[in-house]
Amino acid sequence: MTLPAFVSHPVVRFLARRVGYSLVVLIGVLVVVFALVALVPGDPVRIALGTRYTPEAYEALRAASGLDRPLFVQFFSYAGSAMTGDLGVSFRNGEPVAQILLDRLPATVSLAAFGIVVACAIALPAGIWSALHEGRLSDAIVRITSQFGLSIPDFWMGILLIALFSTTLGWLPTSGYRPLFGDPVGWLQHLVLPGLVVGFVAAAILTRYVRSAVLEVADMGYVRTARSKGLPPRVVTFRHTVRNALVPILTVTGIQLATILGGVIVVEVVFAWPGLGRLVYNSVAARDYPVIQGAVLLMAVGFLVINLLVDLLYAVVDPRIRLS
Amino acid sequence: MRQPAAAIAAVVAMLVAVSCAPAQRVDLGQGSGYLIAAIAGEPDQLDPQKTSAYFSFEVLENVFDTLVEPDADLEMRPALATSWDVSPDQLTWTFHLRKGVTFHDGCPFSADDVVYSYRRIIDDKLANVDKFSAVTDVVARDRDTVVIRVAHPTPNLLTNLGGFKGMAIVSRKNVESGRIATHPIGTGPFAFASQKSGDSIVLVANPKYWGGAPKVPGVTFEFITEPSTALSALQAGEIDWTDSVPTQRISQLKGDDSLKLAVTPSNDYWYLALNEARAPWSDPRVRRAIAYGIDRQSIVQATSYGSASANQLAIPKGNPWYTPYDRYRYDTNEAKRLLDEAGTHPGKMDMLVTSEYPETVTAAQVIADNLSPLGITVDIRTVDFATWLDEQNSGHFDMLMMGWLGNIDPDDFYYAQHHTDGASNAQKFSNPDVDRLLDAGRVETNRAARQQDYAKAALIIADQVSYIYLYNPSVVQAWTTNLSGYEARRDGAVRFRTASLTGRAGDQ
Repeated sequence: MTLPAFVSHPVVRFLARRVGYSLVVLIGVLVVVFALVALVPGDPVRIALGTRYTPEAYEALRAASGLDRPLFVQFFSYAGSAMTGDLGVSFRNGEPVAQILLDRLPATVSLAAFGIVVACAIALPAGIWSALHEGRLSDAIVRITSQFGLSIPDFWMGILLIALFSTTLGWLPTSGYRPLFGDPVGWLQHLVLPGLVVGFVAAAILTRYVRSAVLEVADMGYVRTARSKGLPPRVVTFRHTVRNALVPILTVTGIQLATILGGVIVVEVVFAWPGLGRLVYNSVAARDYPVIQGAVLLMAVGFLVINLLVDLLYAVVDPRIRLS
Repeated sequence: MRQPAAAIAAVVAMLVAVSCAPAQRVDLGQGSGYLIAAIAGEPDQLDPQKTSAYFSFEVLENVFDTLVEPDADLEMRPALATSWDVSPDQLTWTFHLRKGVTFHDGCPFSADDVVYSYRRIIDDKLANVDKFSAVTDVVARDRDTVVIRVAHPTPNLLTNLGGFKGMAIVSRKNVESGRIATHPIGTGPFAFASQKSGDSIVLVANPKYWGGAPKVPGVTFEFITEPSTALSALQAGEIDWTDSVPTQRISQLKGDDSLKLAVTPSNDYWYLALNEARAPWSDPRVRRAIAYGIDRQSIVQATSYGSASANQLAIPKGNPWYTPYDRYRYDTNEAKRLLDEAGTHPGKMDMLVTSEYPETVTAAQVIADNLSPLGITVDIRTVDFATWLDEQNSGHFDMLMMGWLGNIDPDDFYYAQHHTDGASNAQKFSNPDVDRLLDAGRVETNRAARQQDYAKAALIIADQVSYIYLYNPSVVQAWTTNLSGYEARRDGAVRFRTASLTGRAGDQ
């Protein structure tokens, strides 16, 4: 019995290893998410029922939530259901958690996609420019601006943008969300302001990483060689420097994207954005544990998937990984 | 590099194009002319008998009806019941129901629905079961008549049955299908149409509403938590009404002609309670010293930027049950004198507050500062609400701050809180005169005599410091000048049944 040849291909082995890691992390996440309810102070059933309830209602909900069973039975039951997409029902209104999360996903994905595009559109040119002009005035301006972007609280930036573009100029709506399919223009109009806030914050972080990644590569011997053999500056910059800096840049971009996908709580609250962040905010306030668990799980899975995609991209952009 | 540059240029061009389009009210696909109201949060669920969230009641006020309902002065008026008779012994109430009323799904409303709704609250021991504490029986005499028997004369029965939509008449079919929490069916002026999780709830007008068809075709409730965003949306003409108003901007908005602002003292109140099961707080002189030792005006300023009304009793001025009382003032010397008289000087106080109600945390800081000249170090203990309730109920506190919301009848204000056997008497106050007066008030059917009972009880409660009353918060709402036929109510009920919109600025 021989394995097909492709299994031994380095890229496949690399990815298989990464998928394996992800599964281990996923099990860890499941344990943590499960422990969330087991460890919080107070009895979740009592919290769900409020101040007054019959003993029958208590027992019924306890049994329905499976909380009357031994802890490890509960865990395997939760993990098993979660694997099949059954995340339980909300304490608040009895709706399936998976459905609630799916309802919120388009808003969060829209915001994340727009935000990361804005971030890359700013951070890549700014970071590369800054690195190539290290120590000069333009570098200082980029660094100070990105420090400024990191320091501004996002809710404040949001409120200022609303005051300027909505209240004063009347160009864009203050808040809310429209679905892409059905009202594409409204979707974009509503997306611009929160997307800019998310994008600016991410750009501030990303710019600094791009700058240092490019700087590191620019110091390498082969860049000096490329330059001294008379290659045009553009070729040296993009083919030899930036391309080799892409791996760390991709990593950080992936982390930024995953973070935004996990729900930008403050921005979503300020802009009344019906995304995952606001769902978590409201669910924590209401102690709706099944929803909190589901949302955390979804975010963790999102993180893992994006990391896997980033790993895949490594193989595309970096022959050392592809061929090793 | 030409291609990325072109892509960026295209994106920028698209953004510019989109952002230059004038902001407009975007139709949610439910038709135009809808009233758009921004509330500060999302309802937890839409079952009126089960929810305790104000956000839910803001929406459900417009969807459901009760047998009777409070008017602007909080007097009970006919709703689903057009009239009622009370037997000479005051023990049997007969309600005559409105004829021809249908639920939003077209099913006719009848006495069976009333009996089913009330039995559900009683049998399932739902949150409002206390409202039926005197009720021994609810039966349908015929299709249009409901008979309620009570164990003793119950002058506040109407308030209990109609004070708020927690006592709504629900549809049995709706409950049994399990859909009431997400797709409620009522008899009210608007019918539930749809909900977008985290975003909005849409109601459509019920043309067959017994009180007359609403003037707007529907209402969209948007959830805008951040008050400054809601205010911007109102000023930009995107919404018509909101109660998510930044309190620090109230004084500025009062002079703003471009919108209407209502600041109405509510029947809610906030109070301090000292644990009388613990020395030295068992001594009324020590409790009185604390009542003199705190500065109500500073607390009002810190918690609401002055929009609330300081009060030394529970019931606000303007309410028919109001009693004037101003014994206390901020007077550290009087407080010291009282402590000397009591012969005790407490050095420490464990104050229990909860982050669930941020005003308690804010006020605690003012109070800690107020009491330090008396030599009392206030240890502010901030806990989550579930823990707070546990600590309160097990008596693990020296002082706590909390509020009572949604009170109408004086019995709501006093009985559970101050009667020796009161369900919410966590401070363990016990005074035979107060007990007697509160018991009498429960069965006294002569309005003037009843008012006397409660006024006397209130004075003893404040003199003996069962509670240190602090203030009545205001109902703060703002709406566009295009909205008419709407009034802010002191009970915080949001009713759009008579609201109409004219010449809306954002309309095209």
